[in-house]
Amino acid sequence: MAAANESITKDMFLPAELDQSANEKISGEVVSVWKDAFRRFVQNKGAVASLIIVIAIVLMALIGPHLNNYGPTDQDLNRSNLPPRIAALSWLPFFSGKEDGIDVYQQHGIKKDFWFGTDQLGRDLWSRTWDGTQISLIIALIATLVDVFIGVTYGGISGYFGGRTDNILQRILEIISGIPSLVWIILLILVMKPGLIPITIAIMATNWIAMARIVRGEMLKLKNQEFVLASTSLGASHSRIIFKHMIPNSLGMIIINTMFSIPSAIFFEAFLSFIGLGIREPQASLGSLINSGYEVLQLHPYQTVYPGLVICLLLIAFNLIGNGLRDAFDPKLRH
Amino acid sequence: MGRYVLKRLGYMCVTFYVVITLTFLSMKLLPGTPFQNPKLSPVQINQLKHYYGLDQPVAVQYVKYLWNLLHGDMGGSFQFGNESVSTLLMAKFPVSMDLGLEAIILGTIFGILLGIIAGLHRGKVLDWGTMVFSVLGISIPSFIFAGVLQYFLGVYVQLFPVAGWNGPSSHVLPVISLAVGVLAEVALFMRTEMVEVINQDYIVTAQAKGLSRAAIVYKHAIRNALIPVVTILGPLTAAIITGSLVIESIFGIPGIGSQYVSSITTNDYPMIMGTTELYAGLFILSIFVVDILYGIIDPRIRVSGGRA
Repeated sequence: MAAANESITKDMFLPAELDQSANEKISGEVVSVWKDAFRRFVQNKGAVASLIIVIAIVLMALIGPHLNNYGPTDQDLNRSNLPPRIAALSWLPFFSGKEDGIDVYQQHGIKKDFWFGTDQLGRDLWSRTWDGTQISLIIALIATLVDVFIGVTYGGISGYFGGRTDNILQRILEIISGIPSLVWIILLILVMKPGLIPITIAIMATNWIAMARIVRGEMLKLKNQEFVLASTSLGASHSRIIFKHMIPNSLGMIIINTMFSIPSAIFFEAFLSFIGLGIREPQASLGSLINSGYEVLQLHPYQTVYPGLVICLLLIAFNLIGNGLRDAFDPKLRH
Repeated sequence: MGRYVLKRLGYMCVTFYVVITLTFLSMKLLPGTPFQNPKLSPVQINQLKHYYGLDQPVAVQYVKYLWNLLHGDMGGSFQFGNESVSTLLMAKFPVSMDLGLEAIILGTIFGILLGIIAGLHRGKVLDWGTMVFSVLGISIPSFIFAGVLQYFLGVYVQLFPVAGWNGPSSHVLPVISLAVGVLAEVALFMRTEMVEVINQDYIVTAQAKGLSRAAIVYKHAIRNALIPVVTILGPLTAAIITGSLVIESIFGIPGIGSQYVSSITTNDYPMIMGTTELYAGLFILSIFVVDILYGIIDPRIRVSGGRA
């Protein structure tokens, strides 16, 4: 240590030149809220994997039914209740085409493969599963989009205008939210008769409440902030302030909530099919497939397994994406 | 407190009134008539309509309906030879109540325990496991879970009866299937609360005072973390009711849920309406109780006058 001190002398040092403007410079790139959220979302492995699973299922729902030559409603009693068989994977017990050790395909003299097997009426379950996924997804998507629209409008008006408007709208909301969604849904469907549109409307009629509450909360928080005051004093109209300032600022919360209402819509559709208020035969949805699979669960479990797997994957994936988005947009909420 | 209770009571009554009116309206809007038999002559149909009061103005029918409902008269079931709906419901209610209560008690207790353990071991394997379990429990619908349990523990291993409702062993599978969702929800919620409470200043103070870890956890952390859990009991009741419809049908339990499903498939309208009103009443009542409980436990709620 002493030697080092001797070799370094004071006159070897020079004062650095001071550049006043350097203080003002922002070091590092500017990161917008969206970019930041995206970066955090990508780091969440579970959420990214879920996103890939959802995209894969959506793709399969679109192209799956066209991958083989059997239509989702083609019946043929000669090929009823065939277990799944995939020639290339026939060393796997689930795809061997055997049930209780008996090769059912040989028994019936059928040469072709049915990847997910067939149901009691000989309809191909591969086509039906993906077709049903398509219908479940369509219902969930429409219901959610309309929910977002109604919820954002209702919550936005309530929170932005405040005062008496808010009071009345909140009292109404309080009464509506006291009625269990099950009651709404069942009454609506009984009056309208089960079908694609009534189910969508019924699911829609209940899911917007949470969205309205969240948007109202965001509005209440935002409307007292300075940038809104600045905009008002510059003479901006209500609609401009709402659409240009408030909604973009609460978009994070809206997206998060949307992601959670998709799985709940998928669940309710399946639930309705399960209690006999869902999609009618010969159309299929994931719920109705599981329901008809249950009738033969003990004899032919494979008829329930595949639609069940798809719906579980979808629900888990959407929930994980929702969690990922929540963490990405609001790190404070991360636990 | 008195004002708060009165306000909640007011909401409860209004909500229930809305439900009853909605049920009445949907009964009026239902397509078709109960007298579709082609053998009936127009005169006979008119006589029948007169007998059931269907020839009176809707307003009169509405008042009559409310009056009857106040006396517990929900009309006769189409399915069971015009037997009174309220008698049928009362006969099946205890079974559903048993199932629901067992599931909610089991789910809440184990959920709270799991949540506490996970919250205390934040970031460790136990915590991670609890999170995975919770996400699965919340995502997977109870009817899938019931199917898996029924197939593996009922059919494959034959450990428990596949269906029915007699004796404790027949309760195991349906109660577990119904409780899993509750358990997952409560565990996740409890864990979040625990993590939040543990980072509070008063916990640091307690540590600085030299309190033992056990004392901190029992006296300060758990007690405060438990308060918000009360709020999710309301929504959980709704989830239990929804779940019981499918669980009771799957396991063939003779309760209100499976009765409801079968009355939907047989278009037994008076039964559907009666059950809907019963469910709505239960749900609204449970929300009321939860609100009051929360008001008692957390005085801040009373002052601000309602849940945020």
